[in-house]
Amino acid sequence: MQINILTFALTRIELGFSERTVEASATETPRAILRRIAPDFAPDKSIRVAVNREYADWDKPVGEAYELALIPPVSGG
Amino acid sequence: MKIHIEFTHSQIVPPRILAGANEIGAQVEFLGIVRELEDGQAIAGLHYEAHEPMAQSTIEKIVAELAVLYPCEAVWLIHRLDFVPVGETALFIRVRSRHRQSALRMIEAAIDRIKADAPIWKRF
Repeated sequence: MQINILTFALTRIELGFSERTVEASATETPRAILRRIAPDFAPDKSIRVAVNREYADWDKPVGEAYELALIPPVSGG
Repeated sequence: MKIHIEFTHSQIVPPRILAGANEIGAQVEFLGIVRELEDGQAIAGLHYEAHEPMAQSTIEKIVAELAVLYPCEAVWLIHRLDFVPVGETALFIRVRSRHRQSALRMIEAAIDRIKADAPIWKRF
């Protein structure tokens, strides 16, 4: 399957792209997918991940997800 | 309860209020305004970005959860994105409720939760 990876703010600067579509399997975790496409990028604890627009676990398989978003510390309002 | 969440890339215009809600006893509005100094440095404004669909659903969920504690009749929330000059409004919230406590507490709690969880970022 294909999954769309979105980055924002600091994560976009560090990874060098805002959006990228990659092949992934439903059994892969967000951490594994990210490690595969950006081996040098190790997200610290302040960076959350969202799968299909809901906060998710870095180490839980993504399932039939269409989107994975990296969420650095937020600062809206 | 009516919940209206919106993102705009231009100046925020507070929505017009429709008449006919005689049970509304309180209306509270909050405007988050860009300050001149950020970390002690003078700035021209702030740049905001968001994961808009996720921010929309996250804020809707926050407001719906808070409404269990603080019953309200209506919540409007407008967040401006892209460049917001100093002195202009980045966030507008209006809450209408039967009693003032619910509206006041809804506003404060919603802002705290949005600042913690809504995928919106600012930089200068």
